[in-house]
Amino acid sequence: MQLRHVSTNLRQGLRRNLSMHAAVILTLFVSLSLAGIGIMFSKQADLTAEAIGNELQISVTLCVPNESDFPQCVAEVTPEQEAAIIAAIKENPEARSYEVISKEEGFEKIKELGVIDEKQLEGDNPIFTAADVPKTIRITLKDPDEYAGVVSAIQNLDGVRDITTARELVGPVFATIDAIKWAAWGAAAILVLAAVMLVANTIRLAALARRKEIEIMRLVGASRIFIALPFVLEALFNAIVGVALAAGALAAFTRWGIIKGIDPKFDGFPFVGWPEWGYTVAVLAVVGPLLTIIPTLLLTRKYLRF
Amino acid sequence: MGRWRTVGSVIRFEKTTVSYPGPGAPALDEVSINVDKGEFVFLVGASGSGKSTALKLVMREMRPTSGRVYVAGKEINRLAAWKVPRLRRQIGTVFQDFRLLSTKSVSENVAFALQVIGRSGRDIRKTVPETLELVGLADKGNRMPDELSGGEQQRVAIARAMVNDPMILVADEPTGNLDPATSVGILTLFEHINASGTTVLMATHDHGVVDRMRKRVIELDHGTVVRDEASGAYGFEH
Repeated sequence: MQLRHVSTNLRQGLRRNLSMHAAVILTLFVSLSLAGIGIMFSKQADLTAEAIGNELQISVTLCVPNESDFPQCVAEVTPEQEAAIIAAIKENPEARSYEVISKEEGFEKIKELGVIDEKQLEGDNPIFTAADVPKTIRITLKDPDEYAGVVSAIQNLDGVRDITTARELVGPVFATIDAIKWAAWGAAAILVLAAVMLVANTIRLAALARRKEIEIMRLVGASRIFIALPFVLEALFNAIVGVALAAGALAAFTRWGIIKGIDPKFDGFPFVGWPEWGYTVAVLAVVGPLLTIIPTLLLTRKYLRF
Repeated sequence: MGRWRTVGSVIRFEKTTVSYPGPGAPALDEVSINVDKGEFVFLVGASGSGKSTALKLVMREMRPTSGRVYVAGKEINRLAAWKVPRLRRQIGTVFQDFRLLSTKSVSENVAFALQVIGRSGRDIRKTVPETLELVGLADKGNRMPDELSGGEQQRVAIARAMVNDPMILVADEPTGNLDPATSVGILTLFEHINASGTTVLMATHDHGVVDRMRKRVIELDHGTVVRDEASGAYGFEH
């Protein structure tokens, strides 16, 4: 295959339809940026759930001794009591799964949250140790609305200090994250549709502009791939530029909006950062070219009359 | 139809019918034609007689509604779409309107036919000047098409059709835009090409060239073959 011929055709094609290609690139840029924001907010929801539990979860705190606020807890929960609590969870049809968070794990999570200065937790005289942290069982429900049955089945068992449902606490946080995520995805979907229609229009115009050339190529026996290749390469070029611009915009959002913007204001709370940006760009790098190449392959069949 | 029946024959229509959607008589109605390797055949007839449809079948621009068409030993009806380009590389095509690319020079127009089928640059640099010499344009390779006369432009189109050394040359009214003297020159070139072994199938309205050449003439009328003469003239001779 004549690489020079293909690259010349690509250059000519891009130049010939410059404004149309610019429109495709800009639409792709905006739609992929919005889709990227949707992905990053989705990741943010995961991070938030990991940090504070999600609204599908309820947290059962088990007894530790000497807690005046909880008179039912006179001593540390016994293995038998813990086993009875777990058996009650397993029997409950509303509980999907459960996870036991040990004293040590709970202690580490407190340290990770960064609310307490780590120095106060170390040394000879820490304000509390892992032994003081209650063991917890995090139960994930099948339906967040059906938490009452699980709570009533467990709350009066021996060894249970208290039960907190994450729903009231984190519900509004997730509702906000979800709203932003869906708004971004909705806008992205509309713009993706616009981008696909622009791609279709670009191919139609390019096929019209090159009809004589394409006609000759067909008659002298050029393969379908060879005829379609300039169109596919143009689509790929548009996608690469669109993805690169979106990656840049998302990088700016990550750096100035999150890392240097919102993150310092909520010390200790996990926010999306460069790893999530990398994941998002990887997804866009696959989705972007597919968005342009698939319609191109379908439409070249139509407009080039193979 | 056994394979043996296509041996020696490069174009064969067997009871070929082509009907376009809608009412009306078929464009070709059970046409049977056989063109052997190395023949020179004129396809004549009034507008709407089915000449262009027959040429489109040969170029596999379309498929017959019924019957069979064999080109270069391949039954085009059963030829997979991905094999069509390979078939077309064995067929050179020339049209009334030349169909040259105005932004490319004479050499580039001819080279284009080789570039798009993946021939090497070295091969192209060797073959293009040879082909331009064949059509008498050896010294005009750097000219642009609009700097040439109609006859010269048609020669460029013939060079492009011949540069890949096809088995068949299909020409659709190649002298339709040319004056009689220039037409004679183009026909002489076709004769020369035919003499080197290429089968020529030419649809034409040009009485003069058909009468002068005295080659095989197949006349179509309303989609049927009404005459097939080994050494004929444009119209019936009484």
